[in-house]
Amino acid sequence: MDIEQRQAELIDHFVKQASNQKGAALGSVIVEATSQPSLFAFSEILAVPNIAEFEGTENSKYLDMLRLFAHGTWSDYKNNAGHLPQLVPDQVLKLKQLTVLTLAETNKVLPYDELMEELDVTNVRELEDFLINECMYTGIVRGKLDQLRRCFEVQFAAGRDLRPGQLGSMIQTLSNWLTTSDNLLISIQEKIKWADSMNEMDKKHRKDLEEKVEEAKKSLSHKLHTVSRPTLTAEGTRRSTLNLVE
Amino acid sequence: MASSSSSGLTFKLHPLVIVNISDHYTRVKSQMNHSSSATTTNDDNNNGAQPRVYGCVIGIQRGRTVEIFNSFELLYDPSTHSLDRAFLEKKQELYKKVFPHFYILGWYSTGSDAQESDMHIHKALMDINESPVYVLLNPSINPAQKDLPVTIFESVFILLLVNFYMSWVVIVVNPELHVIEGIPQLIFVRSSYTIETVEAERISVDHVAHLKPSDGGSAATQLAAHLTGIHSAIKMLNSRIRVLHHYLVAMQKGEIPCENSLLRQVSSLLRRLPAIESEKFQDDFLMEYNDTLLIAYLAMFTNCARYNILSFLPDFVSF
Repeated sequence: MDIEQRQAELIDHFVKQASNQKGAALGSVIVEATSQPSLFAFSEILAVPNIAEFEGTENSKYLDMLRLFAHGTWSDYKNNAGHLPQLVPDQVLKLKQLTVLTLAETNKVLPYDELMEELDVTNVRELEDFLINECMYTGIVRGKLDQLRRCFEVQFAAGRDLRPGQLGSMIQTLSNWLTTSDNLLISIQEKIKWADSMNEMDKKHRKDLEEKVEEAKKSLSHKLHTVSRPTLTAEGTRRSTLNLVE
Repeated sequence: MASSSSSGLTFKLHPLVIVNISDHYTRVKSQMNHSSSATTTNDDNNNGAQPRVYGCVIGIQRGRTVEIFNSFELLYDPSTHSLDRAFLEKKQELYKKVFPHFYILGWYSTGSDAQESDMHIHKALMDINESPVYVLLNPSINPAQKDLPVTIFESVFILLLVNFYMSWVVIVVNPELHVIEGIPQLIFVRSSYTIETVEAERISVDHVAHLKPSDGGSAATQLAAHLTGIHSAIKMLNSRIRVLHHYLVAMQKGEIPCENSLLRQVSSLLRRLPAIESEKFQDDFLMEYNDTLLIAYLAMFTNCARYNILSFLPDFVSF
């Protein structure tokens, strides 16, 4: 997937930067990383030990901000705005993009109303502009906009960072997929066998029918010869003489 | 005799060459079988069970990439252990007129492995092309084998065999370099290759891969062939998903370090499931299904109705 490839270099760059710096400078690294337009993956940066030290200190709000960008949405930010540092416009944009990704996780068809509510957008035109320019052109989402039914059908959405519990559900989904395809394979094989056996039966039936027709023809012609034409053929006299003998 | 290293050349093989070689071999083998069954002599130790066929491969060499496009057959003269030179040159001229860019890149043969006598032919070709390639096709069918039975050999000189602390090191040097010591010997070295197709080749290979029963068969055999195709496709998908599942389970247990980028890609993939499950789809699907069933029913009706004219025929038939 090309998004991952594009992000890979940026991720490496920021991880290196984060591991080299400490304290307040690290905070600015985080801000820089979250405003970067093509970076949507933050779990690698979260894993850097220097950042984990932030927990509980006065810079912990940077850590919370990073966590918000990794797993949260725009409404999470609005609810906790007091605890988190002010976001620059780039970060606001990125958070909204990530919100769209999260919404696409649960439903494939996103109604405009829900999107407008989640993203704090008032009219449809602005919403569509946002979706087209910020989400589809960057390549994180692919889908169709249905204006008549006012919904957005998602065909593909890039992955966000995983929450700890998500791995289990992903494995569950995969195993369901596996069982479904196994069952499908078995039913296809059965269908093939069914088709072959029906073919056999049909051939047999046809053969039986042919035989019956032949028999009927023979018996009819036999009756014609003996019953309805009492001519003096050799066969006829022979038969009548034979009857006498018997 | 052949070790596996590469001298830096990348080889691209076209399917036309493979089909040509196998066709040549099949023709010779079937003619041999035909003639030996027609004439009941018992000199079938002439060629053994597997005749060897020989020919030339031609193509383009651009820098380090060697692309083999086509091939033609040559006659092997067992007395002089060499290929028919005059014929080769005539063919070369003819091909030059049609394909001016193609050069003779090497030669081909069939068999299971490269042999000593092949080196003669190889050396003989070295005056046309300073480093010819040898394409070998293994005609024995091995159902367990997954990849093509075609190997490409190139020749390199061994210059030095060094005994270095009880281990043998073979130093392979480019033939252009100056010979320092030792007797330079040519050996065959296996090289890897990729298959490259032109659009026309892709269509024909695709056609061959989907062989249908030639008489069109009954409906059942066609259905069976179609279903078998789908079955194998789904089976491949199934095995891939199984690998992914196994990988994720191992990651969960902690045997493999978490790789976030991969996990993100998997999660985005899984979000596309279920692929089609809306109400609208169900409606459309069921409608189309019912339509098809109705049409089949109607066809059956018409089929049966055609025999019903017999029911009022007895009025007209008199014996």
